[in-house]
Amino acid sequence: MNLFTIFISAMLINNIILSKFLGICPFMGVSTKLSSAIGMGIAVIFVIFGASIFSWLLYYYVLEPLGLTYMRLICFILLIASFVQFTEMFIKKTSPSLYKSLGIYLPLITTNCAVLYVALDNITQGYNFVETMVNSVGVPAGFMLMLVIFATIRERLDGADVPRPFQGNPIAFIVAAIMAIAFSAFAGLV
Amino acid sequence: MQAVYAILIAGVLVGMTVLLTVLNKKTPVPEGCENLGPDCHACGIVNCAMRQNQTEGNKND
Repeated sequence: MNLFTIFISAMLINNIILSKFLGICPFMGVSTKLSSAIGMGIAVIFVIFGASIFSWLLYYYVLEPLGLTYMRLICFILLIASFVQFTEMFIKKTSPSLYKSLGIYLPLITTNCAVLYVALDNITQGYNFVETMVNSVGVPAGFMLMLVIFATIRERLDGADVPRPFQGNPIAFIVAAIMAIAFSAFAGLV
Repeated sequence: MQAVYAILIAGVLVGMTVLLTVLNKKTPVPEGCENLGPDCHACGIVNCAMRQNQTEGNKND
């Protein structure tokens, strides 16, 4: 599989939210405002990219040579938690403005199953280092795309005359379902 | 020998996580970012730690 195919597949065809149903918590929770959605999207791209690369290195240079591949799940969870803590601390120290826009989303990302999924998927698919990097950008880029589109729709829904029983999360889930149907059209693209 | 390596790797990772968590908690929050919080109004997840922190903060105010 070439790199472009991996990227498009990760971003649109196998979109992590609409086809895998992962990362639904931030998808519903942080999509009420466009600015929050962009902030969360950038934070997710950064964390997934960093965590996936460290996970890949840990797996192929430590766990596999020692025959400890069965430990990958627990190791990746700990690695992701450490990476998020380090990132938050680093941003606090070096860039207050960046912390202001991303800081509140970093603790949320620690429990985002999408991060662990990408780390495990890179191993399951047998990607090499470059393919891992491309996949680790494509998946969160698809996440951010969905988040931004969904936030835009929800901002417009605030002004719409929605029947009372459907207000809030029910109408959001209906919109998400329609988006999933629309994106299923990408299935035969690659 | 494999079991020793497994315990060693797990220990190192747990230690690293604990150390970084403690260091992160000790790092002061930049000026003007003390009361940052996510927008929880539309989120239906009521047991989220973020939401609980924000609710407690509002009660204290």
